[in-house]
Amino acid sequence: MLDPSDARSGDTGFARLDRRSFLKTGLGGTLFLATVSATAGLSGCATAPAGQLGAVDTRMDARYQFRFLTRDDIQLFEALLPAMFGPTLPEQPQARRLAIASTIERIDAGIDNFGPANQQELRRLFDLLTFGFTRVTIARVWSRWSNVSTAEANAFLERWRTSGVGLFNNGYIALTKISNVAFYGGRDQWHLSGYPGPPQWAVDALPQFKPA
Amino acid sequence: MSLTDRIAQGLEAGWKVTDATTLTDNQTHEADVVIVGTGAGGGTTAEILAKSGLSVILVEEGRLYYQKDFTMDEHSAYASLYQEGMSRTTRDGAIAILQGRCVGGSTTVNWTSSFRTPDQTLTYWAENFGLENLSPEAMAPWFEGREQRHTVAPWQTPPNVNNDILRQGCEQLGYSWQTIPRNVKGCWNLGYCGVGCPTNAKQGALMTTIPGALDHQARLFHGLRAERLVMNQDRIDHLQASAMATDGITPSGVTVTLKARHFVVAASAIGSPGLLLRSDIPDPHARIGKRSFIHPVNATIAQMPEQVDPFYGAPQSIYSDEFNFRHGVDGPAGFKLEVPPLHPGMSAGVVPGHGQEQVDAMASLPWTQSVIALMRDGFHPESPGGTVTLRDDGSPVLDYPITDYLWQGLRQAYLAMAEVQFAAGASRVRLVHLDSDWYTSWAEARAAINSIAMEPHRVRLFTAHQMGGCGMGQDPQASVVNGFGEHHQVSNLSIHDASVFPTSIGANPQLSIYALAARNSARLAGKLRG
Repeated sequence: MLDPSDARSGDTGFARLDRRSFLKTGLGGTLFLATVSATAGLSGCATAPAGQLGAVDTRMDARYQFRFLTRDDIQLFEALLPAMFGPTLPEQPQARRLAIASTIERIDAGIDNFGPANQQELRRLFDLLTFGFTRVTIARVWSRWSNVSTAEANAFLERWRTSGVGLFNNGYIALTKISNVAFYGGRDQWHLSGYPGPPQWAVDALPQFKPA
Repeated sequence: MSLTDRIAQGLEAGWKVTDATTLTDNQTHEADVVIVGTGAGGGTTAEILAKSGLSVILVEEGRLYYQKDFTMDEHSAYASLYQEGMSRTTRDGAIAILQGRCVGGSTTVNWTSSFRTPDQTLTYWAENFGLENLSPEAMAPWFEGREQRHTVAPWQTPPNVNNDILRQGCEQLGYSWQTIPRNVKGCWNLGYCGVGCPTNAKQGALMTTIPGALDHQARLFHGLRAERLVMNQDRIDHLQASAMATDGITPSGVTVTLKARHFVVAASAIGSPGLLLRSDIPDPHARIGKRSFIHPVNATIAQMPEQVDPFYGAPQSIYSDEFNFRHGVDGPAGFKLEVPPLHPGMSAGVVPGHGQEQVDAMASLPWTQSVIALMRDGFHPESPGGTVTLRDDGSPVLDYPITDYLWQGLRQAYLAMAEVQFAAGASRVRLVHLDSDWYTSWAEARAAINSIAMEPHRVRLFTAHQMGGCGMGQDPQASVVNGFGEHHQVSNLSIHDASVFPTSIGANPQLSIYALAARNSARLAGKLRG
């Protein structure tokens, strides 16, 4: 456990996981984590944005150009989103895949505006979660994300939410916040929160909504 | 009501506005005054100086967005109008920072609450920072002038249900409440202030001082980042600035050099200390970036028997100062109670959760009410504020440790908010906290709040008000600028934004910034023309 004074010292979020806190969490040595990003990069598959993926390959809209998320990150979210939004997702498989895919695209589009510093933080978090050794030792998720069940994904989220380690709470917040905003904030999901959208009378009256 | 857009008209009429993302060549420009930032402070300064006949260049890192772009849409607004795409936090990630990044700064996205600086705050500054010239009596005409300029008046329309529940709860408990003064003209009562006013009713910098300055030949560069103030001996010689690429985030490589007799920094309580630190501005007592305040905000949400529709209507119209100065100005942490608007994306991002629990919480959004508490930080030795420093890439970041003093205030605030909501008839209440259940009675909530863990990350914290970091004061050893915003060491540098506040305000700060910037700009104009 982190001692409270340490948790409050306000060092860089996931950069800290590379250092002191990792020892204190009792999960392993600092040396390994310090090299995670580098190793993942060297393995050649993890850190390049997925770009424009084929529809068959990813089940995404083939026109969407990924600017931040990698193929591994996309698999991470494909595993996590059903645990976050499962009961609201369509049961029909194609519609369900589309709802997940469009949410992941909106997550990517949102992160694209975060700027370099927060993107770097998220890169560390996603690398930590998608790189095999740290996925097992830190997230305690035993199989690749593409093989993780919704129950297992939910258990992971619960562990990080209820953990006494502030960094894991922070990771939980980061994952759920970007997903929640992308999902519930999307026009296709407004009905899930009983939000009718901007008042129609105002839309009808305002010049910016009139066709040019 | 007029739907004629002030910005579109001005651009048509030949305002000198340059979108720096379109620049292809390095260039140099010169004016009497270069102003960094176009928010509450920069806009006010630009209009007053330009009207006095001085030539002015305004520099804004964000982009120029106006009515045509304001489509009441959360995703596009968060991406374009907010710092770091709405992902800005304190260094440890524990406090979410809501801050504008666009022409007009945070006044383009704020919820229009317009309070004078409380008398207690001004008196505290006089007694503790040698700022007797900012007494309530001395400042009154400046507040009055700015209230006219920004059309500030108590909201005459009945509050929406979200706000009325705060009023009802306070009434039931005998707590004081008041109607919020708002800076709006012909407001449609829609509820979309936070994503850019779609009707131009909001009288922020974008609809008032920025057009006023541009009408008087001021020149505006947007999409241009102020990198570094470059000194020549004991004066600033020029500002080195970087044009943004079309994404608005990464530099394009084109640089703009801006020369002036005088420089006014108004880049916010995070941006201004950041710019001064990057520039190695003389700081013999290491004061730049210190004593940063944020009105730390915590929140509770309630399920109401009646429909609330918290996404519609003027977002903030009722407040309570029952707890703000209850224990004096410098006792246990006081807090102001207000209400936030709840649109789906914002709600889902703010209230932590996943799975069925979150699905249920979101499904009941139309019956959801929320209260927020704004902690008055900086008035006590155990509330020394945070520190702005630079990351390796030169961007500013805020460290803000929460002291036990503030944790105690935050716990009291949870109690007050839950009590008010139950008094107003809530069927259940939960804290915006990782460990909170729904509580079905005030007694149950009180017991839970008294034992809940008050720790970073578990308590969900926010700030929409960044203040301090370039504090003003009489003593150069303890402050960065004097009471007129004039830098203690560099004679042609002034700071005209919330970064000069030596404590937090104890109220939403926009009118405090407008008024102080107006006062200090009138003096500056006199000196520069003299």
